Amino acid sequence: MSNATLKVNGKEYRLSFSPHQTLLHVLREELGLVGAREGCGIGICGSCTVLVDGRTISSCLMLAVQAAGHDITTVEGLADDEKLHRVQRAFIDHFGFQCGYCTPGFILSTVALLANHTNPSAEEIREYLSGNLCRCGSYPNILKAVMSLSDSEV
Amino acid sequence: MAKSVHMLDSIARVTGTVPYTANLKLPQMLYAKVLRSWLPHARIVHIDTSRAEQMPGVVAVLTAADLNQPGGPTTFYGVQHKDQPIVATDRVRYIGEPVAIIAAESTDIAEAALHEIEVEYKELPAVYDEIQAMQPCAPVLHGDYPDNCFRHARLRHGDIEVGFAAADEIIEEMYFSPTANHVTLEPHVTAAQWQDGKLTIWSATQAPSLVQQVIAELFNLEPEAVRVMVAPLGGGYGGKGHIRLEPMVAALAWKVNGRPVKLTLTRAETFVTVNKHAAAIHIKSGVKRDGTLTARQVTIHWNGGAYADVSPGLVGSGMLRSIGPYRIPAVQVDSYGVYTNLPPAAAFRGAMASQGTWAYESHSDSIAHRLGIEPLAFRLQNLLVDGDAFATGETLHDIHFVECLEAVASGIGWNTPLQKNSGVLKRGRGLAVMMKSTIPNSTSQCRLLLDDDGQVTLFTSTVEMGQGAHTALAQIAAEALGVPVATMNVVGPDTAQNLFDTSTNASRSTFMMGNAIINAATLLKQKLIEAAVPLLEHPPEELSVRNGVVCVTEKPELCFSLTDILRRNQLTSVDALGEFQTRVAGLDPETGQGVSTPHWHQGAGACEVEIDTETGKVAILRYWSAAFAGRVVNPELARLQNDGNVIYGIGPALLEEVIFDNGQIANPNLSDYNIPAFPDIPHNLNSVSLEGESGEFHGIGEMTLPPVAPAIANAIFDALGIRIYDLPITAEKVLRALQNE
Ligand code: FES
Ligand code: FES
Repeated sequence: MSNATLKVNGKEYRLSFSPHQTLLHVLREELGLVGAREGCGIGICGSCTVLVDGRTISSCLMLAVQAAGHDITTVEGLADDEKLHRVQRAFIDHFGFQCGYCTPGFILSTVALLANHTNPSAEEIREYLSGNLCRCGSYPNILKAVMSLSDSEV
Repeated sequence: MAKSVHMLDSIARVTGTVPYTANLKLPQMLYAKVLRSWLPHARIVHIDTSRAEQMPGVVAVLTAADLNQPGGPTTFYGVQHKDQPIVATDRVRYIGEPVAIIAAESTDIAEAALHEIEVEYKELPAVYDEIQAMQPCAPVLHGDYPDNCFRHARLRHGDIEVGFAAADEIIEEMYFSPTANHVTLEPHVTAAQWQDGKLTIWSATQAPSLVQQVIAELFNLEPEAVRVMVAPLGGGYGGKGHIRLEPMVAALAWKVNGRPVKLTLTRAETFVTVNKHAAAIHIKSGVKRDGTLTARQVTIHWNGGAYADVSPGLVGSGMLRSIGPYRIPAVQVDSYGVYTNLPPAAAFRGAMASQGTWAYESHSDSIAHRLGIEPLAFRLQNLLVDGDAFATGETLHDIHFVECLEAVASGIGWNTPLQKNSGVLKRGRGLAVMMKSTIPNSTSQCRLLLDDDGQVTLFTSTVEMGQGAHTALAQIAAEALGVPVATMNVVGPDTAQNLFDTSTNASRSTFMMGNAIINAATLLKQKLIEAAVPLLEHPPEELSVRNGVVCVTEKPELCFSLTDILRRNQLTSVDALGEFQTRVAGLDPETGQGVSTPHWHQGAGACEVEIDTETGKVAILRYWSAAFAGRVVNPELARLQNDGNVIYGIGPALLEEVIFDNGQIANPNLSDYNIPAFPDIPHNLNSVSLEGESGEFHGIGEMTLPPVAPAIANAIFDALGIRIYDLPITAEKVLRALQNE
C-alpha cells in the first residue's frame, strides 16, 4: 500500500491504496467521484478526462501516486455551489449530450481549451476535442455548445 | 405540442452524477471476474478450482458443476432456443466463452484467482464463416442442428421464374457486412444479490421485464421473487437489448448466498460478449429496360455465433428488412441463421436492416447504372406508396418513402451541378432509402400518479439510455393530462413497482409506451372529473381537464385545481394504469405471407463525398437524413437521434470491423477498433423528421442509420465508377479498387 495526499477539487485527501492503482480507480472507488469514467482504459476515449494542474489527463493512464502534489479537478469540482460552470450550462443549452457517459470528459476538455484559447474556431474545437469520443454521436451539438463560448462566434 | 424540452436530468448529466449501474456500490459488495475459454471449440476434460477457492479473499467460484442442483439455477437459457449454458458445461464453442466466474473481496483478488483455475481442454475443429458452416463437412456446434442452421426464414411472393423470365436485364450481386461491436461507453455491468430465496438484480439492460422472466424461469421462481432495477444506461444501441450477463451473475450470487456481487466487463470482454451479425447477402433482380422491377431473389446468411440468443426471431426480421421498399411482383427470400465458433450476435442499432439496406440500396444503383437511368428517378419509379401491397401481401399504410427520399435529395442539392473532378480529389453524390418492420406483438404498461402537491409521477419500465425517452414520455403524459411538464417526475424500471414492458428495443417506446401513457391519462382524467362532480355540481360529460384544472367546459371560470379536488375529497393521491398492445396476424412460416408489423419505420439519406484518389480516403462533405416520425414530440431530441444515427452509421460504413483470426478477435480495444470521432463527422450534417396526417407516433431511434453505408458507397460509385461490396469502406479498399480499374 502507498500513502499519498491527493488534492482534488481544492480539498486534500490522505489516502492509502496499492501502488498500481490508477488515478481513475482512486477517484471513483476511494473518493466516490464517479464523473470520470472508464470507456477504454487505454487513453483513447477521453471519458476518464480530469484536469491535472489545468491540463487534460486521461486518468486511466495516470497512476494515483503520480498525481500526489498536483491540483486535480474533476467534473464535480466545476460548479460553484449550485451555480453550474458556464461550460456545463452551454452543454445543457445546446443539447450537447445523450446518454451523458462521455459528457464530463468533453466538458473538462472544453474548460482546458477555453483556458488557453478564448476564441477557438470551429476547426480548432474539432481538433482539440478529437481525443474525446461520443458513441451517441452528439458531436454537432457539442460543437455548437463550445462555439457559443468562443469569442470568435459571429 | 412538439417542444424542445431539455432532458429531465440534464443537470445530473453535466455534473457527472447520473447513477449509472457502472457506479453502483452496495454494502458488502463483492466483485466478479470471468474465466473465459481461450479455444474456439473444445471439450472440457477437467476443471480444477480448488486452488482458487482457497485463496484469501475469494468467496465463491462457480462452474457448471454447481448448476442444476436443488434450489439453484438450471443450466441452459435462451430467449428462443435454450442452447446457452450459464457457464460452459462439457464444451466451449467460442474464444471468450465463460467457463467459471469468481466472486471476491476485490477485483484484483478475483483477477488473481482466475490464474489459479486449471482447465484441461481437448480441441475440436471450428468454423467461423456463416456460409462454410452450412457446408456438409463443417464441424457441428449443436447436435440438434446438424447443418448449423438454427433458423431458415422463407418468403415466397408471386412466381419468381415468371418474374425473371419477364425481365430484360438480370443483375446479380453479392454483398458482405461484417461483424461490428456496439461499443457502449458504459460497458455491460450487472449486480445481483440472493437472499432468502429471492433475487435482486441491478443491470444495465434495455429489457428489465424480459430479464425478470428469463431469470425466474432459470431459477424456477415466481417472477415476483426476482426484482430487476435499471438505472439510466451509458448507451445501449441493442447491445444491452436482451438477457446478457444476468444469468451468470445471478447464479454466482446464489452460490455466494447473501452478499451482493457485481460484474463489470472490461472493454476487451465486451467484444466477446455480443456483436452485430455479420451477413453475406446474395441479391438478384430482374428489371425491364424502362426501369420496372419484375423479380427479386435474396439469400442471406447471418452469422449468429455460437448460441442462438435472440437471433431466431431476428433472422425473420432480417428476411423482411432485406427486400427494400419497392414494388416487385415476384420476391423470394431465404434468410438463414447460422451457428459458428464466434461470440453470439444480437440486434445492433438499425438491427437486421443495416445489412439488408447495404445490399439492396447499393444494388439499386447498380441496376440504375446498368439501365442508364438516374438513381433517384429509378427509385421514385419503383418506391412503394400508400395502399400498395408489400412482398408479404400486407397492404401498406402511412407510407412516406418518396417524401423521405425527396427531402434528402433536395437537402444536398441533388439536381444542382456537381464539380466532379479537381485533380486527385474527386467528388460524387449518393442516396439510399430504407424500410424496417417493428416488433409485431408487444405490450407496454404504465402507471400515472397525481399527488396532492400537484406532482405527477410516471412509473414506466422504458429504459432511459440516452435517447431521451423519459423526457419525451413525460411530455406526452403532461400533454395528455393537461399539466405543465415541470410537474412531471419519471420513475424508471424497477419490476417491484413498475408494470410490464416488452423492452426498450426496435424504436418502439415512443409509440408503444406513449400510447399506454395516453390511455392511463384518459383514465386518470375520468377519475378526476368524477371526483369533481360533487364540487362543481355538473354532470361528468359537461366537465373537462385542462391546464391543471377541472372546469365546466362551457363556463371555464367554474373550475377546481387538480390539487384542490384531491384535498376536498380527502385524497393524498389518485392514480391510473394504462396499457397498449399490438397484435398482428403474423406470417405463414412456409411463404412469409401475412401481416408482419403494426407499422413501418422509414428513413433515407443522401450525401456528397470527396475521395482522395492518392490515398483512397473518403471524406463526407455533406449528409442529409430523413426519418418518418409520424408525430414529433421533442424536435431537438429527435434531431439528436437522426444525427446520432448517421454518426453511429459512419462507423460500420467507413471504420468498424471486428477482425477475427481463427476465432480470436485481433482488435478488441478502442485503439485498434476505431469508432467515429470529431474528424470523421461531416461539417454539413442535417436531418428532417417528417410528420404524417394520422398523428401516430413512429419511433426514430434507428431510421436514418441503415441508409448511411449505401449512400456513401453510391456516392463513391458516382465519383469514381467503382463499386465496393464489402464493408467497411476503408481507404485501402478504395485504393485497391482504383488500382484494379
Ligand atoms: S478510459 Fe481513459 S481514455 Fe478511455
Ligand atoms: S452522449 Fe452517449 S457517449 Fe456521448
